[in-house]
Amino acid sequence: MIQLIAFYLFATIVIASAAMVIFARNPVHSVMWLILAFFNAAGLMLLAGAEFIAMLLVIVYVGAVAVLFLFVVMMLDIDFAELRAGFVRYLPLGALVAIILAAELVFAVGAWSAGGVDLAARAAPVVTDKSNIQQIGELLYTKYIFLFEAAGIVLLVAMIGAIVLTHRQRGGVRTQNISAQNRRRPEDATRLVDPGVGQGMEL
Amino acid sequence: MISVGHYLAVSAVLFTLGVLGIFINRKNIIVILMAIELILLGVNINLVAFSAALNDLVGQVFSMFVLTVAAGEAAIGLAILVIYFRGRGTIAVDDANRMKG
Amino acid sequence: MVDLTQYLPILIFLVIAVGLSSAFVFLPMGVARLTGAHKPEPAKLTEYECGFPAFEDARSQFDVRFYLVAILFIIFDLEAAFLFPWAVSLEEIGWAGWATMMIFLAELTLGLVYAWKKGALDWE
Repeated sequence: MIQLIAFYLFATIVIASAAMVIFARNPVHSVMWLILAFFNAAGLMLLAGAEFIAMLLVIVYVGAVAVLFLFVVMMLDIDFAELRAGFVRYLPLGALVAIILAAELVFAVGAWSAGGVDLAARAAPVVTDKSNIQQIGELLYTKYIFLFEAAGIVLLVAMIGAIVLTHRQRGGVRTQNISAQNRRRPEDATRLVDPGVGQGMEL
Repeated sequence: MISVGHYLAVSAVLFTLGVLGIFINRKNIIVILMAIELILLGVNINLVAFSAALNDLVGQVFSMFVLTVAAGEAAIGLAILVIYFRGRGTIAVDDANRMKG
Repeated sequence: MVDLTQYLPILIFLVIAVGLSSAFVFLPMGVARLTGAHKPEPAKLTEYECGFPAFEDARSQFDVRFYLVAILFIIFDLEAAFLFPWAVSLEEIGWAGWATMMIFLAELTLGLVYAWKKGALDWE
């Protein structure tokens, strides 16, 4: 019973905040609603038994991706009112596409629950005496090794791409060169001279 | 009791809202990227729902990959957005008609 | 189905946190409304910044370097997330699984070296 209440709570909030993400006037508010949507989606995943995915949603999405969005929104100084100019003009077309898409999804679910679609045999049945995260690990690092490495490549490309795109060398900045400092010996920097009496210093 | 149909309904609504968000915020590319995140969230909920319903763990593993790709996509998309803004001073997608550096 | 009773402490914690924080926010508002005189007028409701209207938006622009740091944080956050199931299931996945993770870590270390050499980690 409490699961059903929790499900409806999470589902209502996730849908409401998803609607607020796309309808909010201010993108900062959109990011905040996105965070709320992710939190409640994590709750939904938890109810479905996917504990690790739920934690991943909280850690990666709420903790990192949403913060990244927030940084970018704060970084760009934009007149957001001007960007909403086409809102009403595109609404009918968008609503039409959305309705068609929703109808297709309902149709697909109906076709699936009517039976007749042969699902492939279970690839990795869940066993109950192990924790969710351990089963994921056992599957991910045995059967899906190559996909995992491909995910690593995706992350590498994302990292290098972001650096290449946004990093620029700042001119005129003097940074501390620690290795050059450590390499410097007293002989390079100082000179002992022994001037005679009355000769003065010659530099 | 919660059935897979409940989850499918939620994920279908999320997916549709994401697509609608792309259409109605056509000028604001930040909100478009957020709408794409919503779409991927709907996909993730779908994968996890079927994983739970079929008692099969593969859905959750693939959900992790979707998460990874979504994070990379957000990073690169926002990087492109940042340099686009640096060059143009606006982020309106309509102006993006010059495929030159 | 997962045993959700383990999450009861988190639920209780959340309820207490929400209750306390909303009490801190709304209780002073309610008390002030009930005890003080509430007579709003336009001059009182204008924004107040040392006597003159605010010059600019309170939002200040961020530097692009925050963005690069956030990107690197996401990447290594995901790397750490992938380490958890690996560490838990290391007994079963054997040497192949161990080597897989080492290759994955090497890939991301390559990216870290690149970021370092490129100077993306320097704050100047």
